[in-house]
Amino acid sequence: MRSSPGSHTSSEPEALKAGDVTGIAFNIQRFSIEDGPGIRTTVFMKGCPLRCKWCHNPEGLTLKPELMWFDVRCIGARDCIDACPKDALRLTPEGLIIDRGRCDVCGLCQEACPAGAIEVVGKEYTARQAFDEVKRDDVFYKNSGGGVTVSGGEPTMQPRFVAELLALCREAGFHTALDTCGYSSKEALVRLLELSDMVLLDLKTMDEGLHREITGVELGPIQDNARLISSSGKPLWVRTPVIPGYTNSEENIREISVFIRDELASAERYDLLSFNNTCGSKYRRLDLVWELEGEPLLTSAEMGLLARAAGDTGVHNVQWSGATRSK
Amino acid sequence: MKDAAVIQADQLWNPSRELSQRVKRLRKEYVDLESRDYFRNEMIPFTTGTDWDAMWSPSQWGVVPELIPFNRAFLETLPMVARKVELPSDFWQKPHVIRVATFFREVIARYLPVQILEGELIVGGHFNAALSRAHNKKENREWMKVTEKWMKEIESLNSHGLGNAGATPGHLIPDYRRALKEGLKGLVAYFERLRAEVRDTDHKDFLSALIITCEGAREFAARYAEEARRLASECEDESRRAELLDIARVCEKVPWEPPETFQEALQALWFIHLLVMVQESYPGPGLSPGRIDQYLYPYYKNDVGGGRITREQAKELLECFWIKPNYAYDFIYRVGRIRGITSGYGQLITIGGHGPEGEDASNELTWLILDVIDDINLLEPKPNVRLHKNTPDELLKRVSEMVAKSQGSPFLINFDETSIKALRWQGLPEEDLWDYAPVGCLENTLQGNDRSGTVDINVNLAKAVELTLFDGKDLASGKRSGPRTGDPRGFKAWDDFRVAFEAQLRAMLLKFIEFYDFTDSIRARYEPTPYLSALVRGCAESGRDVTNAGAEHNYVTVEGVAFATAADSLTAIKKLVYEDRAVSMAELIKAIEDNFEGHEKLRQTLVNKAPKYGNDDDYADEVAHYLSSFWTEEVFKHKTPTGRRYRGGYLSWNYWIAYGPMTAATPDGRRRGTFLSNGLCPVDGTDRKGPTAVALSVGKIGLESAPNGDSHTISFSPSLLSGEERIEKLCSYLRAYGESGGTALQINVIDPETLRQAQQKPAEYRNLLVRVTGYNAYFVMLGKEIQDEIIARESHKL
Repeated sequence: MRSSPGSHTSSEPEALKAGDVTGIAFNIQRFSIEDGPGIRTTVFMKGCPLRCKWCHNPEGLTLKPELMWFDVRCIGARDCIDACPKDALRLTPEGLIIDRGRCDVCGLCQEACPAGAIEVVGKEYTARQAFDEVKRDDVFYKNSGGGVTVSGGEPTMQPRFVAELLALCREAGFHTALDTCGYSSKEALVRLLELSDMVLLDLKTMDEGLHREITGVELGPIQDNARLISSSGKPLWVRTPVIPGYTNSEENIREISVFIRDELASAERYDLLSFNNTCGSKYRRLDLVWELEGEPLLTSAEMGLLARAAGDTGVHNVQWSGATRSK
Repeated sequence: MKDAAVIQADQLWNPSRELSQRVKRLRKEYVDLESRDYFRNEMIPFTTGTDWDAMWSPSQWGVVPELIPFNRAFLETLPMVARKVELPSDFWQKPHVIRVATFFREVIARYLPVQILEGELIVGGHFNAALSRAHNKKENREWMKVTEKWMKEIESLNSHGLGNAGATPGHLIPDYRRALKEGLKGLVAYFERLRAEVRDTDHKDFLSALIITCEGAREFAARYAEEARRLASECEDESRRAELLDIARVCEKVPWEPPETFQEALQALWFIHLLVMVQESYPGPGLSPGRIDQYLYPYYKNDVGGGRITREQAKELLECFWIKPNYAYDFIYRVGRIRGITSGYGQLITIGGHGPEGEDASNELTWLILDVIDDINLLEPKPNVRLHKNTPDELLKRVSEMVAKSQGSPFLINFDETSIKALRWQGLPEEDLWDYAPVGCLENTLQGNDRSGTVDINVNLAKAVELTLFDGKDLASGKRSGPRTGDPRGFKAWDDFRVAFEAQLRAMLLKFIEFYDFTDSIRARYEPTPYLSALVRGCAESGRDVTNAGAEHNYVTVEGVAFATAADSLTAIKKLVYEDRAVSMAELIKAIEDNFEGHEKLRQTLVNKAPKYGNDDDYADEVAHYLSSFWTEEVFKHKTPTGRRYRGGYLSWNYWIAYGPMTAATPDGRRRGTFLSNGLCPVDGTDRKGPTAVALSVGKIGLESAPNGDSHTISFSPSLLSGEERIEKLCSYLRAYGESGGTALQINVIDPETLRQAQQKPAEYRNLLVRVTGYNAYFVMLGKEIQDEIIARESHKL
C-alpha cells in the first residue's frame, strides 16, 4: 500500500523552457473514440500509484521504461543478445529471459532485433514532441469536436509534463480531457483540471476495505478528488471497470451510482466497462504474473442488469461497453 | 463491442422488410437464375452471315487477362452459333459506319428478343448481345491481321506481369440528361440540321449513321409497346392489364419523345442505356448513368409534387428500374463464373454532390434513392455518394448509418473538393467541374461529353522495382523486359537507384503507350459505335465516332497497380541500403533471387526497420508522394495518335492478386506470390496507426495529379460503429477525410469471423456484400483467393 497521494510528484525536474518538460508515455493512440467526445488521440502516461488486480495496461504501472519481448515475433536471430552491453539477455527453450536487474533499458536490443520482437515500452517525450505527434490529427479533432485525452497509467504522476502538453493542446484549440484514477495530490489535480475541458474518472468501489484490497490504495482521497473535480464544474464521465468477483455486484454498482448522484453534480455520464481478458500476454511480456489470467468475460446479460441497477438509482446517462461472452 | 462479433445469417439483410410484394418477387426472380429458364439474358450473337464475320473484339477485352486464353475460341465459336440477320440489299455498298448502324438497327428492331416479365413496370429484358462488326472481306482481313498481332503482344505483356491494356467499352457517362430532355427525336432533328450544314461526305455519313441508330431505338421501343398490348389482351387480372396498357403507352412514346412523367423518364433511361450495352456488345461495365438524382428530379417532382403518384409509387418504380441493370450478370451464366469477373460490372450512379456555386444539390429523390439502395441490396447499379463541405448533416448521417449497418459497404463515397481539384489540374473546363461524376468503380469524368478510358491501361509499378534490381530482366524467366540501367550493386547512392527506377518505369510506360496507341487505333478504325456516339457530345459536331476521340474530352487512364508495394520497396532501399547502410544491395538482390528463403533476418529487417506508407509517417509518405508525382506527370506527357491524352490513376481491380505470382519478391519484404497492394491502400498489415493516419497518408500523396480518382478502402470492425455516438464519429471522420484524405473511399464494416462463417456456409450468406476494390460484390460469389485476402485484410483492423 502506498503512503499518500502526492509524494511521487516531487521527483520531476524543474521547468526548462515551455514545452521542454519531459515525460514518459507508453503509447500515443490515434483514433481513440471511447475516451471522450469526438475523434481523439489518447496519450498514455507511464506510472500509476494503483495496483488494480485487473489492470489491462500493466506496461503503464511503473514510471520507467521497460523491455517487452514478443514471443510470436521472435525469429531466434540472437542479435539482441549480441547487442546487449549488460549481458542481460538469454535465449532459452522457454523463450528470451530478461535479467531485469541487469537491464538498464538502453534500447540497443530493440535497435538490433530485425523482427521487432523486443520493444522498449515507455518513451521520453518533451511536451512539444508529444504535442507535435497529437496535432497530426487536428483535422479530425476540428471536424468531430474531439481532441486529446491524457490517460495512463496515471497522468497526474507527471503533472508538469501533462500540464505543458494540455496547455499546448488548448492553445491549438483542441478539446482536452484528463483520464484519472483520482488518486493524486490536490495541487497536481487542480493544475491539470484548469487545463482540461473534461475529466474521465475511474471509481471501482465504495467499500474502503475492498478498495484497498483490490487497488492497493485508500478510497478516501479518491472520493475527495472526485468531489473536487465536480465542484470545478468540469463535465465528468465516471467509469467503473466491472471485474468478476471484485466490482461486479449490483450492490457495488448501486453504491457508486448513489455517490455519483448525490455528490458529483458535474457527472454527465456513467460508463460500465466490462472486464477485458485479452491482456494476459502483456503481463507475460513483462515477466509479471496476472491473477486474473483465464478469467472468463462477463455476459452481456450481466452487464445489462448492472447498467439497469445503476440507472435505477437516478444517475444519468448510464452506458456499458466492452467485450462480453454470449453464454 | 457488444456481444460476439459474428453476424448470423438470419441477421443479414432480408428482402422482406420494406419492399412491396411486386418488387420482392421481381428481385427474387432475378436472383433465382437457375429457376428462370423462361428468361435468361445470355449473350446472343448476331451475324451478317458472311463466312469471315466477327462479333468478338479481343482488343476490347485486354484488361480482363482471364479471358486472354479464350479470345480465339470466342472469335471462332460465336459465328457458329450466331443468328443471321437479313440485311437491306444495298448493305455492302454502304460505308462501314452506316453498316454498323444499320446492323444495330436491324437487330434491335427485328431480332433481339422482346420479353416483359410478370409484374414489372419498367421493361426491357434482353440486352446481352454480340453484334457483328459488319466488316466486309477486306476490312476483316486487315482487322484480323492487326488483331492477331495484338493478341500476341498482350500475351507477352501480361504473362510477365508488366500489366495489361485494352480498348475497354463502357466507362463513360452518356448524355442521358439531354436524351431525356429532348427525346431521341430531338437528337435526330439536331443531327439532321448538322447534316444539312456539313460538307464532308464522311461527316454526313457519320451523322446518317447516328440517325439510323436512334430510329432503331424508336422501333425497338415500339416492339415493347406491341408486346405489352399483346400481354394485356391475354391478361385476366384487371389491374395488371391496366399496367400493361400503360406500359404500352409509355413505350410508344419514349425514348423517341421526351418523357414527361417519372415512369416515362425511368423507362426512357433504361431503354437508352440498355441499347448502349447492345451496341458495345458488352455487359455494361463502367457504363454509368451519372447523377440520376439531379436529372431525374424534375420528373419526380412533377409527379409526386403534383400528386400524380405517391412517394411509395415512385419508390416502386425506381425499384423496378433498379433490378434491370443486374441482368447484365446473366452474361456469364454459361461462360462460367470466371474468377473476379463475377463482380466487375459497374453501372455507377451518383447521388448528392454540389451545384455550380458549391451549394448542396441533394433533394428528395436523393433520399428516395438511399431508401431504395437500403432496401433492395443488389449489385447494380452501383451507388456512389458525392460528399462535400456543404453536405447536410442529416444526409451524411443517413449515409454513415447505412455504412455502419451494412456488413459490407453499400457505397462508394466520393469527395468533391479533392476530386474537382484533380479534374482542374487535368485541364477540364472550370465551369463544368462541379457536375463531374465517377464511372465504373470510381473513375472521375465529366458527364455526357467525356471518354477517359478509365481502366484501359494497368501498369504494375512493383514490376519496375524488380526490373531496376535486375538491370531490366524479369527475374523468373531471365528475359529482358526493360532497358539496361546497370547493376545496382554498383550504385553509390539513392539517386543512382532512383534514376534507374525512373528509366525502367518510363520504359514500361512507353511500352504500354505504344501498345495502347495500337489498340486504340484498331478500335478507332474498325469498331465504331454510332449509337453511343449519338449520346456523347462532341461526336456529331466533330464527325468522329466516340471510339475515335470524337467526344469533347478524350483521355486514356493509366492505372498504377501495386502503388504501396512499390512505394514501400523504394522506401526500404532508400532508408536501409543508402541511408542507414543496414542492408547491402548485394544481400538484398541475393535474398530476392532466393525469394527470401534462408534470408529471414534480412526480410524481417526490411519489414520492421523501414518506415511504411499508410502510417502518416513523413519519410514513407514523402517517397509515396515522389512515386506518384513522377508517375502521373510522366503519364500526362503523352497523347494517342487519335488525340486522347493519357492521365494517371490508381485502381487495381483484381490485378493486385493476379500479378502477385508474376512479381518477384519485393524489397518491402513481400515474397513472390503474396498479393500486391490494392489501389492506394497500404500493404496489408503495415498500417498500424489507425484510420486517421491512413487517411492523412493518402492525402499526402498529391492526388491532384491523378485525376482519375483513386481507390482507397478501409475496414472498420462493426463494434467501432455500433451506436449513435460512434456513427456521429464516422460522420466526422468522413468530413475530415474530405478535407485531408483522398478522392474516394470505400468502407467495409465487417468482422473476419463473419466472413469465415460465410466461406463455410455460402448458401446462408448469399446477401453478404463486401467492397473489393472499387466495386462491391457478394462475398460468397468471389473466388477463394479474394475471399481469403478480404479476411486477411479485415483481420488486421482494430
